[in-house]
Order: sequence, then C-alpha cells, then structure tokens
Amino acid sequence: MFRRTALAASALLASAALLLAGCTGGGSGTPTATGEPDPNASVAIRLALEPGNLDIRQTAGAALDQILIDNIYQGLVRRLPDESIEPSLASDFEVSDDGLTYTFTLREGVTFHDGSPLTPEDVVWSLQTRKATPAWSDSARLARVASIAANGQTITLTLSEPDSQLLWNLTGRAGLIFKKDDTVDYKTAENGTGPFTLESWKQGDSITFARDEDYWGDKAKVKEVVFDYVSDNQAALNGALAGEFDVVTGFDATLKDQIESNGDFALVLGSATDKWVLAMNSTKGPLADQKVRQAIRQAINHDALIEAAGSGVPLYGPIPEPDPGYKDLSEVAPYDPEAAKKLLADAGVSNLTLTLTVPSFYGTTIPQLLVSDLDAVGITLKVDSVEFSAWLNDVYTNKDYDLSLVDHAEPRDFENWANPDYYFTYDNPEVQRLYAEALSALTDEDAADLLAQAARIVSEDAAADWLYNWQSVVAVGSNISGFPADNVNARINLADLTKSKG
Amino acid sequence: MIRYALTRLALLIVGLVVASVLIFLTLRVLPGDLAQLIAGTNATPEQIQSIRDELGLETPLWTQYIEWIGGILRGDLGTSLLTGSSVAAEIAQKASVTVPLGILSLLIALAFSIPLGVVSAMRRGRAAGTVLSVGAQTLAAVPVVWAGMLLVIVFAVWLGWLPAQGFPRAGWREPGLALRSLLLPAITIGIVEGAVLLRFVRSATLQAVGQDYVRTAAAKGLTRNQALVRHGLPNVGISIVTVLGLQVAGIIVGAVVIEQLFGLPGIGRMLVQDVGNRDLPKVQSELLVLTGFVLIVGFAVDLVHRIIDPRLRQAESE
Repeated sequence: MFRRTALAASALLASAALLLAGCTGGGSGTPTATGEPDPNASVAIRLALEPGNLDIRQTAGAALDQILIDNIYQGLVRRLPDESIEPSLASDFEVSDDGLTYTFTLREGVTFHDGSPLTPEDVVWSLQTRKATPAWSDSARLARVASIAANGQTITLTLSEPDSQLLWNLTGRAGLIFKKDDTVDYKTAENGTGPFTLESWKQGDSITFARDEDYWGDKAKVKEVVFDYVSDNQAALNGALAGEFDVVTGFDATLKDQIESNGDFALVLGSATDKWVLAMNSTKGPLADQKVRQAIRQAINHDALIEAAGSGVPLYGPIPEPDPGYKDLSEVAPYDPEAAKKLLADAGVSNLTLTLTVPSFYGTTIPQLLVSDLDAVGITLKVDSVEFSAWLNDVYTNKDYDLSLVDHAEPRDFENWANPDYYFTYDNPEVQRLYAEALSALTDEDAADLLAQAARIVSEDAAADWLYNWQSVVAVGSNISGFPADNVNARINLADLTKSKG
Repeated sequence: MIRYALTRLALLIVGLVVASVLIFLTLRVLPGDLAQLIAGTNATPEQIQSIRDELGLETPLWTQYIEWIGGILRGDLGTSLLTGSSVAAEIAQKASVTVPLGILSLLIALAFSIPLGVVSAMRRGRAAGTVLSVGAQTLAAVPVVWAGMLLVIVFAVWLGWLPAQGFPRAGWREPGLALRSLLLPAITIGIVEGAVLLRFVRSATLQAVGQDYVRTAAAKGLTRNQALVRHGLPNVGISIVTVLGLQVAGIIVGAVVIEQLFGLPGIGRMLVQDVGNRDLPKVQSELLVLTGFVLIVGFAVDLVHRIIDPRLRQAESE
C-alpha cells in the first residue's frame, strides 16, 4: 500500500527516523532536548492524512500502520529502524535450518487493553484467521504457512516451502495479534497489547492516545499523544509557528527556513522507502516499446525533480536504498534528452501525446516539471489530476492509463513487479522466476542478491521510471526527543518519545 | 396568504424529492467505490469483491434508493459504511462547529455591510462613498482562501492573538477557546459575504433615495437623510431579507472551503472527506440535509417577504 498522503504536497514529510521499526532509535537524528522530561506531557503531532476508519485488520492505508502498529497493536516480532527484526510479543524466536519451521516463545504476563491476558490461543487464532480471510489485508502473505500450532507458550509455524519474507511480513499487518473472537468495534475502537491505548477519535480532527499505565513492558514516557490531522501544509506551518504542534510531519522541506525561523523547531531528514513511481502502461500503444519507455526515462531530469520536491535521493530502479537488493542503477537511465530523441526516432515515434493520471493530493509541481521535460524531447504530456478514489478505479483496478504517478511508500514491495496482474502491467517471466527464488532463499544474503538481479532487469526493461526516493522530513520541537526520523510514513513508534518541561 | 403558503410548501416538497434523486444518481456516477479504497493498493480483485459483498455495494440501485428514502421518512439518516456510526449523530456533532460558524459569519457580514452600505449610498460621489464602494467591489472579488490566509498570517502568526487552525478538543465545554478558534474563519467568510451584501444594501438604498415617497417626505420638511432613514430603510430591509436567503447558500459553500483551511471539524470538512472516501450512504444524507436546509430557508424567506411587504399582500388580495 502506499501512502496517499505521502506524497502529498510534495514534500511531505514524514520522516522519521529509522524507524521502520519500531523502535526508535532515539539518537538517529532527532535533536536531543535538554531539560527534564515531563512524565505528564501531552505531545501534539501534525499528520496530513486521516484514516477512514481504524480497522487495521482490513482497511488499507499507511495512515493506520503509521500510528497503530507497535503503539496500539503488536505482533510476535517487530521491525527496527535499520530494517532488522527483533522479538516483541515473543520473547525470542528460532528458524530451523531448512527454513520450514518457525518457533516463537510467547511472553507471559502480557495483557490486552481490556485487561484480559494474552494467550497462545489468541496468537494462533489471529494468524489462522488472517490467513483464512481474504478480505483482511496481507492475508496472502501467510500463503506459505501450512499450520500454526501452540504448545504451552511455544507457537510453531510450519511452512510448505521456505519464505524469506515471512518474518518481515510478521512485523506488519499479517502478524498483528488480536484477542480471539473479540467483540470490540475495530472501526472506531481498539483492544491491542501496546504501550498506548486509544483515548478518543474525533473524526475530521484528531486521534488521541493515552499511555497504558498497565503496560506489560517499559511504559511510555509521555502521558498523551494527540495526532492532529491537518491536510493543508500551509495551515500546518501556520499552526506550528503559532505553537500548536510539537512535531510536524508530512512537511515540505522547501519551507525549512520558515519553520526554523523562530528557533522552536529543527528540521530532521531521514531515510524512507517512498518510491515515486511513474508507471507506464506497456500493454498498448507506443509504450509497449521499450525504446519509448527508455526515452521517457532519459528525458526526465531527476535532480531537478528532487530539488523541487525539497528532499529526496535519486532512484533508478524498483528497490530503494534501505531495502535488501538495492544497487545503484543510475547508469541504466542517465538524464540525456538527446539520447531520448534518438530513441524515439529509432522507435519510429513522432508527435507522441500521453496522459499522466495522478491523484490530486500530490499537487502540480512534479507533474508540471514532467510536462516540460517531455516537451523538450517532443512528447506532449497531458496531466489528468483526479481524486484518489478515481485513480484507484481507473488506474489501479481497470489499468486504463498511459502514465501514472503515485508514491509507493511501503518497504520491501518488489512483489508487484513480479505480478503481471498488478497495475504496473509488467510481465517478465525471468523477473518472476528470480523473485520466486528470492522468496524461497534460505539466507538473507541470497535473497538480497536475487532481488538485486531482478531489480536490474526491471530497470533495464524501463518498466517504469522511479522519479526519486523521497526522504522523510520532520520538524521537531526543541523540547522533544525520541521522535523517529526515518520512514515516518510507515511507522511512528512513540516508545521513546519525551517532552521536556518549559 | 394560506393558499400562497401551501403552494410554496408543495414546491418545497417537490424540490426535495427531485434533489434526492439527483443527489443519489450523481453520486453513483463518481468513479471508484469504498471497497477499492478499503482494499488499497496491494489488493487482489478477490479481496475487493469480498469487501464489496460485505458492504452491500452490489445491491440494486433502486433498492438502495428506496431503503434510503424509507429511512429518511422514518427520520433515520442511515449509518456510515466506513465507521458504522450514525449519520444523524455525526451531522449533529459537526453542526456544533458549522452552525455557530455560519451564524457568526452572518452577524459579522450584517454588522458591517448594512451601516457601510447605507453610508456608501448616502455619500455617493464623495470620497468616503467611492472608497467604500470600490473597497466592497474588491473584497467581493477576493477568494475566501486568500482572505483567510492573509488573516491567519497577521492575527495568528504575527500577532499571535488568535489560533491559526483547529478547534479545542474540549469543544464548547471551553466556550472561550471555541469562540476564539471560530473568530478568524467567521471574519473571513463574513467580510467576503458582507462585501457582496454591502453592494446590495448600497443599490437598494440608492433606489430608495430616488423613490417618490422619499421625495415627498423631504418636501414635507425632513432632510434627505431623515427621509431616507425613516421611510427608505424599511424598504431596504425587505431587499436584504431576500438576499439573505441566497447568502445562506453562499455561507455554506464558504464554510466548506474555510473549514479545510482552518482545520475545523465541521460539516464542510466532513463532506469533503466522505466524498473522497466514497462513503455514499453518508454523503447522500449529508447533502440532502444541506439542500433541505437551503430550500427551507428559501421557503421561509418567501413567507417572511410576504408578511413584511404590504405591497405583495395587497397585490394578492386584489
């Protein structure tokens, strides 16, 4: 899933720290506040995109993963900022040498927010129900799990074939643990095991978390966290300058001087896995020709795009730097308008007109730059800015588009290039084979190596263009520390967040 | 009068029925549905279909319409597909922001447009009148968003007197804070709508100045201004009532824009979000409530107009 907002405005910000995981590496870049941390503090965080409901079992969108995973709901394992994996509800885990048996030891003394104890039955039920319910997110990610069983506190997952992504998937939605047969209304309430409870959701306004005073582990260091949903970046900036927020995410790095002007905020840049994908429909017309797609890639001045967006690093293939399998592929499609013209001439294409379908919340800056870049090589680009729902219908579901621009924020999502039914329309049996092998690989190194090979082919085929790998940008108040700096679009782990007095 | 009222009432009902059909059908033409949105960008077609079935999106349209209208007739606005909460309760809750905002905007608009409009008419041709008239033209042409941004920068960011955005979490339990956070948005809508109103007041006043009865009154020894205030302004009042009916719709539109800008959790912002989410059962009831409100205000204005304008009553009895 990618995050709609994230893009938004281009520049969104998010940033956080290496957080992909949940934990926060408090040091990774957020300024360290001096002064005594206030255990009764309330922290106000501006986010851009409000979720439609809170049902993380089913409702897609990084807006839910971002705030709910690790803070409210937990899995057996969780991600760290550097994408490594550590135990969470399990006290430890073991993978057999053949990669077919995963054994977790469930912690004792864990309770749900309603006070009932977490039992091995809850874990087995959660994973089995996920696997058996196609309407739930990421259900297919447990496809290789043949059986889930509990013996005392030991939970055993037996696989039909090795799955190098399984542990990773268990740190996401597929691995979240719920209370068996719970009757809580997941759309507006929760019953998780994390360090925070949901205090209130004022729809259209804010979500408030309160510290769980009965939490089984180290308790949170602030009393309350308020996520204020403000979609307009200028309104967010004004609110920050007026002292209404402690942290601003989804921020535009081009506004750095303004946000830092009164000395109350510092802008923090972090890594992220947001890939701004210019998808190309290769099933019809001139875009079926690799030369035409390659010409489009070489016509685009990626450095200028990054400058306009305010933060980001170049990306010339489907895998961003934080993910396994990343290689610098910049030589595959260097900026070269003359080469682009020549490719178009070789392909026998002239007077080409294409339509770019883009969700409207991404703004117009990047699309306008693409229009002028492509115009310079003789391609007329029309921009069709549509509601996200319309994009989902026309582009995602019906694949009725020429070019499409969306920020795919989710880490480790290479699978979409190995799925010919995905809206990318990319169908290469060699890539599918390499990806299947990577899935079945027994070591992380082998998996990464196979993914890197597959990614190179995808890039050489010019299956799409990757405009850039957006970087997280967060404005953090001077009295705040422990706010994640990396990938805040994916996770905002609040465990180490503190606010000092005064 | 009663016959007139009954005719208008019948028109109002026909208007609501037509509006309900238009709202229902227009929303169904929008591309995309809630199931796609819930399933997101890693969804398989099977996943989308099973969510669609679960939500009842596959029910025939006419069944959906009948169920909706049947509910409305029983006083049930339905529930949100996305959150399961009652639409009526949500509208009531958001109205606690939007209704005060609308009333405040209207009061601000009236408070400056009536006196200034009259003054601008009476000072026509002189510097003050020209300044007011040109000023009103300019303000009326200003986009609400731009006016709002400017006010935020001055009063919230520079001076720090008023909040830049948001509404207190405690709502009206903190009346002072709540009122403060509505002030800038209300001023924004108020001056833009008020500028439009000012021009109406001015032209109605100018018209009154030219009327025979004002000249007659002046001939009896009143000054022109006295004659205008005593005999002209009641007639100006009648035109203002008529225009106010239209202004209500303008204020609702203004609220939709301004609630986005100021991050106010009101009806306008809820509506924009719900359309984006394709939560159609919720959107259609919200739109019907708003449309109904505007139609009822129009109906009331027609009746009031009749009552306060003796000429119309007389015309009917003749």
